[in-house]
Amino acid sequence: MKKGILISPIILFFLILFVFFYLLIIDRNPSELTSMLINKKVPAFEAKLLLENKTFISTDEFGNETTLVNFFATWCKPCRDEHPYLKKLSNEQGLKIIGINYKDDSKRAIKWLKKLGNPYSNILIDPNARLGIDWGVYGLPETFIVNSNGVIKYRLVGPISKKNYDAFVLKVKEVEK
Amino acid sequence: MVPSLGNITLWLSLLFAIFQLIISHKKNFYSVLQFNKIAVNGLLLCSLVSFFSLMYCHIVSDFSVINVFQNSHTTKPLLYKVSGVWGNHEGSMLLWILVLTIFNYFIFKLYNQKNIIFISKTLETQAIITIGFLLFTILTSNPFDRMTTSHINGLGFNPLLQDPALAIHPPLLYIGYVGFSAAFSLSVAAMSISIEEKIPWYSYLKPFVLAAWIFLSAGIAFGSIWAYYELGWGGWWFWDPVENASFMPWLLGTALVHSLITVEKRKSLQSWVLLLSILSFLLSIIGTFLVRSGILTSVHTFALDPARGIYILTFVALLGGYSLILFGLKSKNFLNRHYFSFFSREGSILVNNIIMIVVCASVFLGTIYPLLVEVFSDNKISVGEPYFNSVTIPIMMPAILVMGMGPMLSWGKADIVGILTKSLPSILLAILISSIFFWVYRSYNMLGLVGIILAFWIMSNILLIIVRQLIIKNREIKHETIPKYSSGMIVAHFGIALLILGITGSSIWQKEKIIRMKVNDETSIHNYNIIFKEISEVTGPNYVALQGNFWVYNNKKNIITKLKPENRFYPVTNNTTTEASIHTNLSRDLYLVLGDGDVNRGWIVRIYYNPLVVWIWIGAFAIFLGGLFSMKNNFKKLKHLSI
Amino acid sequence: MQRILLAILVYLVTSQIVAINCYSVEPDEFLQNPKKELRARNISKNIRCLICQNQSIDESSALLAKDLRILIRKKIEHGNSDEEIYDFLTERYGDFILLNPPFKISTLFLWILPFVFLTAGFFVIFLHNNKSKKLDYNK
Repeated sequence: MKKGILISPIILFFLILFVFFYLLIIDRNPSELTSMLINKKVPAFEAKLLLENKTFISTDEFGNETTLVNFFATWCKPCRDEHPYLKKLSNEQGLKIIGINYKDDSKRAIKWLKKLGNPYSNILIDPNARLGIDWGVYGLPETFIVNSNGVIKYRLVGPISKKNYDAFVLKVKEVEK
Repeated sequence: MVPSLGNITLWLSLLFAIFQLIISHKKNFYSVLQFNKIAVNGLLLCSLVSFFSLMYCHIVSDFSVINVFQNSHTTKPLLYKVSGVWGNHEGSMLLWILVLTIFNYFIFKLYNQKNIIFISKTLETQAIITIGFLLFTILTSNPFDRMTTSHINGLGFNPLLQDPALAIHPPLLYIGYVGFSAAFSLSVAAMSISIEEKIPWYSYLKPFVLAAWIFLSAGIAFGSIWAYYELGWGGWWFWDPVENASFMPWLLGTALVHSLITVEKRKSLQSWVLLLSILSFLLSIIGTFLVRSGILTSVHTFALDPARGIYILTFVALLGGYSLILFGLKSKNFLNRHYFSFFSREGSILVNNIIMIVVCASVFLGTIYPLLVEVFSDNKISVGEPYFNSVTIPIMMPAILVMGMGPMLSWGKADIVGILTKSLPSILLAILISSIFFWVYRSYNMLGLVGIILAFWIMSNILLIIVRQLIIKNREIKHETIPKYSSGMIVAHFGIALLILGITGSSIWQKEKIIRMKVNDETSIHNYNIIFKEISEVTGPNYVALQGNFWVYNNKKNIITKLKPENRFYPVTNNTTTEASIHTNLSRDLYLVLGDGDVNRGWIVRIYYNPLVVWIWIGAFAIFLGGLFSMKNNFKKLKHLSI
Repeated sequence: MQRILLAILVYLVTSQIVAINCYSVEPDEFLQNPKKELRARNISKNIRCLICQNQSIDESSALLAKDLRILIRKKIEHGNSDEEIYDFLTERYGDFILLNPPFKISTLFLWILPFVFLTAGFFVIFLHNNKSKKLDYNK
């Protein structure tokens, strides 16, 4: 009994250190969150389009092919950095990308896209962050991969860049299977 | 040239530390002393030169040194160029090493005819710790690394860190942590030597533990002072992981200080002292780990680098494993059969120990729980302020109750009738003062009530102790059974009472007002009227600011003060900060923050009425002072030992 | 006219959202009904800002914090209960967004262990007391 009391702190000590060690070794970002929407169907919604005077109805647009959903804004610098890679994804991979213009000025957004090019098949506006909140967006840009059944399979927080482009394409291919 | 000097002396320090480790093994006592003299002095000298070399580089803005380039700028005021030396990861490690070598020197000074083996063993352990820190700094965090490109100016420094309280905060904390490392080494030495040596190891331990504890208290206090004055919420504690990292060793340190008193007086609780010394030190290092490894997000994390984390973790594992196993094997040699009653002085200290440890364990649990959940499940949760408050406050309360009565209990036996008769006056006094307090303030709140009563409970007990001492002195009665109360205890305990008063007042009865004001608008909070007189632009040494001028009147229409909050813009780092304007007096702080806005819509103004806040800082200072008194008394005793 | 960006208090800037022209809860956001406003403030104080991660959305200057504050007030006006509002947020952001961890199986230990520690502590004292009663070495 006495021995137990003396040994258990040592065991506890090493257990805790083990947990720390494990957390250090794996690749993790302590401030990043996993999306609550993974493996769930896209929440049904309607939204206004940026470039046309029509309404976007989600149930029509999802559930046909693998689709990316990209939340972006003109005031977000990493979104600008990521833009060429979105174009690459759209052109080279032939992916359908739906852009959601988050809390932005529509006129500015149209100018921005004219200047940089438009990789999106549709662009929705989300001036009040209602869509953003429903999708659990907390840091722009965010890109979701939705499979052909309309189920969200993956979220990337932060820009697509040279570093993670190939890994992202792999992820898309995984989802497509 | 100077950076190279700094680097060379850093490496030399390592050599001296290794030297100290090797020679402390030797059996020839005379040569051990002589060689350790060389080692200890060499270490001290080299780390001094290294540290001041880095300081020189910062002061002259030598941007060829990466550390200076990343953290300094020519426009920084001199004071902050100096404090900037330790305001970053690499520089702070250099400061830590300096303090280690200074304490190392003090340990060396303890040598006398009787304790050569003991002190040598202590120096050996201390050398291992110093080597660990030196290797870590040289290999992963060398402040003397040079830039490959040359620059005219540096990357500046975060303006939030340019503050006097924050400048002094790290050195105070490091004295605390290093003090605990000295306590650790002394404890390991005490367990390693044979029982026949009969060394009063606890007497050597006491000054280091006291120093560690009071400087840690001061360091935490200044951190909170900075948060209160700089961050603009009128808050001073957020249960942020880094704050918890300093609070946990403090809690164990409190238990340790009290256990040491018991060991000195009654020889009991020795194994508690050993275990607490080990745990305080381990928690200090684990705290360092949590903050510098990037494993947690925190407002204060810097130096996010998993590689550094792995190093520190290995260091902790080795030291912790060794010392805990040693404790497991040897603690039975320190058992003392002097059993004591629950209602004795030792009993109250034991209760205090238990509660401190339980609070420490709960804070630790709350801090690392999100990590555990992340490893063992898919979920990710967070543990924030509400949890820590709801867990620690109820558990602390019985400790405060016991603290009031404890000093009046006798050693060894219980005298329940005596206790009740002794504490009756203080209970009555506490109720009386509390009633007066609530009659004046007329604001009732359950938690507030408890806090105020507890604070006055301690103060009443202290007051009665002082009165009794004076009566005895006056009558010159020689009472052997009446314990002589230590001045340190009186002042420090009184400080805790003031601290509780301040904490209760500022948390429970804080008033907040958030409104939009245009120039010439008027508002009120509590009994004060505030008029927004004007808004203007001011320039500082390295910033431009928008300053609001608010005139504060009391209910008799007399002007009390002019509050001038600022929103500062620092062009170098492209940062903005808000500077709250605070008017302090003994009963409350008036705290005003200027928000965003413009001439047309007006400005958002946040006004706080924070009662009794200043007593928190006064209480902390009293704790520090009380500890100093105890240290002074302790040094006298220590002199007797060194013959 | 200088555009004054207000302080983001965290050095660890992971945020992609820049704080523009807001600084914690603003008077313009306040609900008219003080009881409802108090509810809103209390709920906000329990929601973690995901950008400045060691602040609540009540204190934070981030854009998302402001959006969530407005959302919470809308829902209170709409008649939702506190629990419904918390559920709404955790469905989208996970339990991480709560500063006060929920009482679930995964957090069972978190809430129970402090009491376990305390009980263990009392047990130690109790044991000690027993020992001292048996061997009464009074002076």
